[in-house]
Amino acid sequence: MPSSMHHVVLGHGIAGNHAASVIREREPDSRITIVSAGALLFYNRYDLPDVFRGRHQWVDYLVHPPEYYESQNIALRRKTRVVELDTQTQTLSLAHRETLHYDKLLIATGGRAYIPERLLDNTDLMNNFHNFRVAMQTQRSVRKNGTVIMLGGDVMGLDLARTIIAAGHRVIVALDNRTFWPHEVAQNERPRYLQALENMGLDVRDHGRVDHIEVGNSKGPARRVLFEDGSEIRGDIVMPFFGLVPAVDFLATSGIDMERGILVSPQLQTARDNIWAAGDVCQIWSTTSNAYRFYYGYRNVKMMGEVAAYNMTGEQSAFESTVDETLEVTSKGTLHSPFWEFD
Amino acid sequence: MIPQQPVYLEDKVDEIRQSGRLDYRSQALPTWCPGCGYYSVTEGLANALNDLQAPKENTVVVSGIGCASRFPFFMDTYGFHTLHGRALPVATGIKVANEKLTVVAIGGDGDGFAIGGGHIPHTARRNVDITYILFDNGIYGLTKGQVSPTSAIGFTTPTSPFANRDAPLNPLLMLLSYGASWVGQAYAGWSHHLADLIRQALEHRGFSYLHVLSPCVTFDKTDRTYQNLDLAVRELDTDHDSSDLALAMQAATDTSTPALGLYYTSQRETLGQALDQVALRAGAAAESASLG
Amino acid sequence: MAKQTDIQISICGSAGDGTIAVGDIFKRAMARAGYRVIAFDHYPAEIRGFGKCIARTRVATSRVYSMKGYSDVLVSLNDMHAIPHVGEVRNYGALIYDSAPMSAVAEGAHISGHLKPGHIPYAFPMREVSELATGANRSRNFVALGFVAGLYQLPQDTFHHAIAAKFESKAAAVTKSALAAFDSGFEAGAASYQFDDVRIDAPRGRKNAHEAHMMTGNGAIVQGCLDAGIETFFGYPITPATGIMERLAVEMPRRGGRLVQTEDEIAAISATIGAGYAGSRAATATSGPGLSLMTEMMGLGVMAEVPVVIFVSQRGGPSTGLPTKTEQSDLNLAVWGGHGDAKRIVLAPTNVEGCRRCAGRAFEIAEQFQVPVIVLIDLYLSNRYETVFLQDENECLPKNWKHSTTPGAGYRRYELTSDGVSPRCIPGEAGGIHTATGLEHDEYGNPSDNSRTHSLMTEKRHEKLQAAIKYPGINFTKRFGDSGKVEVGLLTWGSTFGETLEAMLLAQKEGIRCAAMKVVMLSPFPVRPVLRFYKDCQQILVPELNYTGQFAKLLSSEIVLPVTRISHTTGAPLDVNILLETIRRAARKHRRHHNAA
Repeated sequence: MPSSMHHVVLGHGIAGNHAASVIREREPDSRITIVSAGALLFYNRYDLPDVFRGRHQWVDYLVHPPEYYESQNIALRRKTRVVELDTQTQTLSLAHRETLHYDKLLIATGGRAYIPERLLDNTDLMNNFHNFRVAMQTQRSVRKNGTVIMLGGDVMGLDLARTIIAAGHRVIVALDNRTFWPHEVAQNERPRYLQALENMGLDVRDHGRVDHIEVGNSKGPARRVLFEDGSEIRGDIVMPFFGLVPAVDFLATSGIDMERGILVSPQLQTARDNIWAAGDVCQIWSTTSNAYRFYYGYRNVKMMGEVAAYNMTGEQSAFESTVDETLEVTSKGTLHSPFWEFD
Repeated sequence: MIPQQPVYLEDKVDEIRQSGRLDYRSQALPTWCPGCGYYSVTEGLANALNDLQAPKENTVVVSGIGCASRFPFFMDTYGFHTLHGRALPVATGIKVANEKLTVVAIGGDGDGFAIGGGHIPHTARRNVDITYILFDNGIYGLTKGQVSPTSAIGFTTPTSPFANRDAPLNPLLMLLSYGASWVGQAYAGWSHHLADLIRQALEHRGFSYLHVLSPCVTFDKTDRTYQNLDLAVRELDTDHDSSDLALAMQAATDTSTPALGLYYTSQRETLGQALDQVALRAGAAAESASLG
Repeated sequence: MAKQTDIQISICGSAGDGTIAVGDIFKRAMARAGYRVIAFDHYPAEIRGFGKCIARTRVATSRVYSMKGYSDVLVSLNDMHAIPHVGEVRNYGALIYDSAPMSAVAEGAHISGHLKPGHIPYAFPMREVSELATGANRSRNFVALGFVAGLYQLPQDTFHHAIAAKFESKAAAVTKSALAAFDSGFEAGAASYQFDDVRIDAPRGRKNAHEAHMMTGNGAIVQGCLDAGIETFFGYPITPATGIMERLAVEMPRRGGRLVQTEDEIAAISATIGAGYAGSRAATATSGPGLSLMTEMMGLGVMAEVPVVIFVSQRGGPSTGLPTKTEQSDLNLAVWGGHGDAKRIVLAPTNVEGCRRCAGRAFEIAEQFQVPVIVLIDLYLSNRYETVFLQDENECLPKNWKHSTTPGAGYRRYELTSDGVSPRCIPGEAGGIHTATGLEHDEYGNPSDNSRTHSLMTEKRHEKLQAAIKYPGINFTKRFGDSGKVEVGLLTWGSTFGETLEAMLLAQKEGIRCAAMKVVMLSPFPVRPVLRFYKDCQQILVPELNYTGQFAKLLSSEIVLPVTRISHTTGAPLDVNILLETIRRAARKHRRHHNAA
């Protein structure tokens, strides 16, 4: 491989980081640049609940120290957003008005929290958990023995709920058709899983659809969630856990095939032969389902990163999931999702 | 000027003793060659200081390097024998430090117009209130007779054995163009005239430049001799207007029959006065800054 | 963890970005807030154009002695100029830059692509914030300053005060605009999540923190001259000493002093000598090339025993050299320059306060010993800002030289006395008449080439200076660090002592027994204290900013004992880390031998 080959990886999550490492292993001389919107080096998002366990130094979360990227000669462009992709000229337009040329591109921008349209106006009143900064803000906003209201309750939220409860707070989950996302739970199975949630200490409520969110009065909890049926729940913070949607806004004019996410072959390749996608952002063609589908969870995402990296460096491997996607109730009567597991 | 009556030695000695001008002379006997024009200058300066009754302790004579080097030692005043070409800036420093002093710089044509040439314009244009007596014998006497910036074309010396071909400077023209506020020319052979001009130069408030033509009796036996100079020099026209700069420059261009006398004089702010004005303005600025 | 602050901020921009201006406000505000501040800016070499400016400021809660070899924070007002300096920022340090420049940039031209993995990026729309606050991109520098203040929670009102003070003489609209830009930046900074580990904790309040002044070496020289009541100054412009003359040109006339800009350096020193001869407290200031021109006159000053002060700020040499870079290569010229045995006094302060003290005492020292005194600094010290408390007294003595007890006909200006110093009379004093001369002379000052006279006079002119070593009021040598026997000793002079002291402190923290001594009087040389220091050190390192080891050679001319020379000729001050590594190696070497023995 010529040494001037420039691999660009968009996104510094599990898929992007692993892909970059593997490309470097396989090609010691090519250029690798990871482009990420965040300020920090790679850390495992699955560790973030630890902010509720008193781990408040971001340095502790880093998977690799800065020296790793230097010794691996992996260039990082942080706080960098991509606004446009031009597949003809093979350039990325960056928000700060610089262009970046690539020879091979891996899009691993992941997903962002899905917010139902009716709640878009209230985003400033909700707390997120997708990066260290907002995770810290979230943790700080919860009073001692306070209450966290989770809307929807996807598996990431439920995982976080375990830690929040262990930290002595209360978690109320307002049910929705997105509860347990991405698992699809049959109607008749639902009560069993809801019971499992209660066994875990969650306060499970079914108020129907949320109407809007308001600021609480100064003396009491900071937030009030009001439902269409007129009921309300009060808590210190409100967190949306309605599942993820792929972060593909910048691809609007790129000509890349998309459904909800980027459509890729089992080799994770897009229609363009020098562009791949991996992680929560892509939908992979499944011959068994005869459709494009998402794969979630740490193991799947990391494997996608690996497969993409191999294929970007000359291979033609196909992605195969090794994850059993069943949502379980354990012998203790608590919930367990395979998507909670990471190495 | 040739005296009209015979002068008797005893009368002369008496006159000298009683005049008081010997007070300005030190005990040291000059080391110049017999017949050197510097004797006239020394006599003239002592006379002038005496006429003006300038206190000895307030007088400073500053020399560079040359036959004039030792000049300060022969005067019973403060003195500073400095470096080749540097009498003027040192004299400036002395005057700036103490305006009450009478400061006289003295040197030859080499000291002044060769190595010292860069300092003359600035001392003149600043109108530093000192007197510069420039002894022009067209030769480097102390080092035994080399060619100098005012040597005539054709002059043969040890460093111009095949005759000098460099055109000489015109010091009077230069000083007039530098803005000197008093420019005069004298001749060592006309000693009374010289003494009078020295007095005028000292009296002038501002930079006074007195150019003194003189022979080097030891090393120039052909060009600038008393004989030749006696015949060449003349007085400035009686109707010469010393306030007319152009006229003075005109007169200065005649180097073959050099005219003697006061070429030009004017009154303008001296360096000392300028510095006083600066202090006033600075003081005024400080005043308004503290009040404002 | 101890609440120690020690951070260095670099602001990089183009000439015209107002880089130096905000650097100036930052240092003054922090000094006023009670921090110890030391700053050294980088100016473009060209007069006009868009050359690089860097305002570097080190802020600490306790005393610091030099700039650090790295920065903790870098602010980019112009990426093209800042990019080459990204490597200066340490791991986990902050880089603050514009996330939305005015026009498109080529690939690689934005600073975000050059950050090292260990750097923390703070990208915010500097220009947009500026335009929103004041309508102009021009106030970007104040926005950036505000961002820094907001991010690190610095006292906003102290900055407001510094900004108002800076624009006191300008229209009110200027101050208003600057404050608006600053506050917008402050808001943005305060809203940012701080990921870097830069801590700027409040300083222990020094009682008169509000009286702290930021002063450069040149400014301190000027202050020292004024403390001493300088009366006359003659100078010629030359980088980096010009600032001394320019400040004195404003200050001296107010106090009845007289300053003249001469036509060249020879005229400058000549007039200074003339004025000194006439009894005035006279000085001049120059750099290496000017000092070369002054050497002949300096010899006259030594021979005629005239007191004058010559300030010399060294720059890169030889010849025209590097006019805007620092070096310490004129020691030879200052100490030995000039023909003949022309010994004079040379003082070399090591920091800004020292500049003030040496300048202030130089005049009385010159008068006491009737000799030219050179105060030798360098460009780094001339232009370096340090916090100085002006209220600290600089106890300068008024004019009081040895006078004649028997003025009159028998007065001998160059009388041979027991201490070598003759009674001095100046023009205007009756009974003190004499002629000063550059020729060898007898006691009366009359020229003399007599062998015995020359012998005695030469001895007089040299031996009279020895007592200068004991002149009170300045530490001509001072030892720092571990007392008693040490493994590594550091011996140096001038501004290099700052970096040396820093390296010594770091070495001590690593368990190396070491000490450092500064030598402030280079001529006459303080042999005894240096010899005592020698005896305590297993080995001596001599770092200096010149190639031939001029100070090391001066040392060995006085004390014949071996030293290890460290030469550094890059135009920049010594790197503390390199010096520290040298100390470590020296200690290891010593320990190996020691253990082997």
